[in-house]
Amino acid sequence: MKTEMPLSKPIRRIIRQTEEMLDTEISLLRQPEADPGGTLVDVYTYEMEKNVNVIIFPAQYVGLLKDFIIAKHCTHLLIKGAAHKKGKYLLCSYNEDSVSRGMRQIYIDTLKDEAKKAEKDKLPVNKLIQMLFILYNHFNEDVNEIPWNAIVNASVYHRMSKIRKTQLYHIMKESKNDMDEMVEQEEIIPRRYFVLNKAMFYARDMFLAKTLPADELMPVLNIPQMKKFNHLEVKEMLTHRWTHTAWYQSKVFGDTMLEIVDKHLDKVEWNAPPTLDHYYELYQLGVNLTNHLTSYMTMKDWFVWETPKHLLQAHEMKGEYEKKALKKIFGDLIGDTEGGT
Amino acid sequence: MTTKEVVEILKKGRAYAQRTKYKEAMAYYNKALSLDPKYPESWYLRAAVLIDTGKPQEALADCERALALNQNYADAWSKKALALFNLERFEDAVLAATRASTLNGNDAMAWYIKGVCLDELGRSDEAQEAYGKSLELEIILDMDAERRKIRKQ
Repeated sequence: MKTEMPLSKPIRRIIRQTEEMLDTEISLLRQPEADPGGTLVDVYTYEMEKNVNVIIFPAQYVGLLKDFIIAKHCTHLLIKGAAHKKGKYLLCSYNEDSVSRGMRQIYIDTLKDEAKKAEKDKLPVNKLIQMLFILYNHFNEDVNEIPWNAIVNASVYHRMSKIRKTQLYHIMKESKNDMDEMVEQEEIIPRRYFVLNKAMFYARDMFLAKTLPADELMPVLNIPQMKKFNHLEVKEMLTHRWTHTAWYQSKVFGDTMLEIVDKHLDKVEWNAPPTLDHYYELYQLGVNLTNHLTSYMTMKDWFVWETPKHLLQAHEMKGEYEKKALKKIFGDLIGDTEGGT
Repeated sequence: MTTKEVVEILKKGRAYAQRTKYKEAMAYYNKALSLDPKYPESWYLRAAVLIDTGKPQEALADCERALALNQNYADAWSKKALALFNLERFEDAVLAATRASTLNGNDAMAWYIKGVCLDELGRSDEAQEAYGKSLELEIILDMDAERRKIRKQ
């Protein structure tokens, strides 16, 4: 890696370790419109001309916020790279059949919900049809993100004590954004899926709340907006938010998911030597955790473990898969032009 | 050539620099300097491009020129600290970053460079203090950016 940006010691170390361990290169790119959580464009997911992975972060992140983004994405890169080198790097993809199974299940659950609604509140049929794939796709993204997010954050926390305060700020911010997700569509989405979506984020937040102790908080508390959380544990801070969301009564789902996350991640030796074996172990844990969560949500047959290339191709085919699934569900009731969101 | 015209030229150069088109940016900055070498911002902006293109020694010289014209130019002190950091002159970088943060207490980058350099010098406690200040400022800036984004939506 060659950069003119100032980087703190632990960040330079993790970049060097990652490059050496994976025999690859990391490039850092500042972009004004980058996603607040940064983006990793890596050689294990995308077909790249050169053996160079790019970590993109918002241009306004000049100090520790930038460092945390780099640490997070280096850790994820190590997990992906270890999987690639020691076995095969796979993620949750989909195909024609799995899309069909998922969309059918969502349709059945939607019908159950719609049956309970007053006539004036019922979802128009075209909206209902559109929603099926959108929701399916949403869960595909979530299962490919949430378990890894928990693992990567826990690993960064244990390995990089100097950026813990920054990490805490990121987690609080991310949690807030994730909590707001789907809220505007709460009345439209079948209750079951709204609750499951929130439950996954709840489990991640609570797991991280247990992982990050509160004594790391002090400098963040100098920020006026954070003052109300003074003297609270991280767990209390996140609970404070969750108890103010609409789905709290259904938190039993979230608690069960937290038990699942705990079961898989509680015994991890986060401070074990940072070898390829260690990161491969984290990859396998992520796969097992994802499987357990999808089983719990009865979505096991919605997705297939496949290569990143398969997922990229599936994204290109999604319009086609959606149309075929709609045909299977509705038969001739659906026109050839409908679907394909 | 009036200052107003130089400012316009620098604006164009800045637009190129933001898109990492450094060659074009340099051409504008050089033009501005040839028209009015007593305008400190031209030296400062050229120093920024020189740092981004891996020329910290030349960047340092430009920062010195900017500071000779205006000793209280906070951004130039901050850039000087960065150039010195890249030249691994950590003690000097700490001094420049301290000056930058004294002149502009809201310069998150200056505090961060100070933290990184103090860390390099093994002054861990002081480094943590500087990092803490840098983080506070970054969070405030980030919250402002979020608010602006929400307002736009």
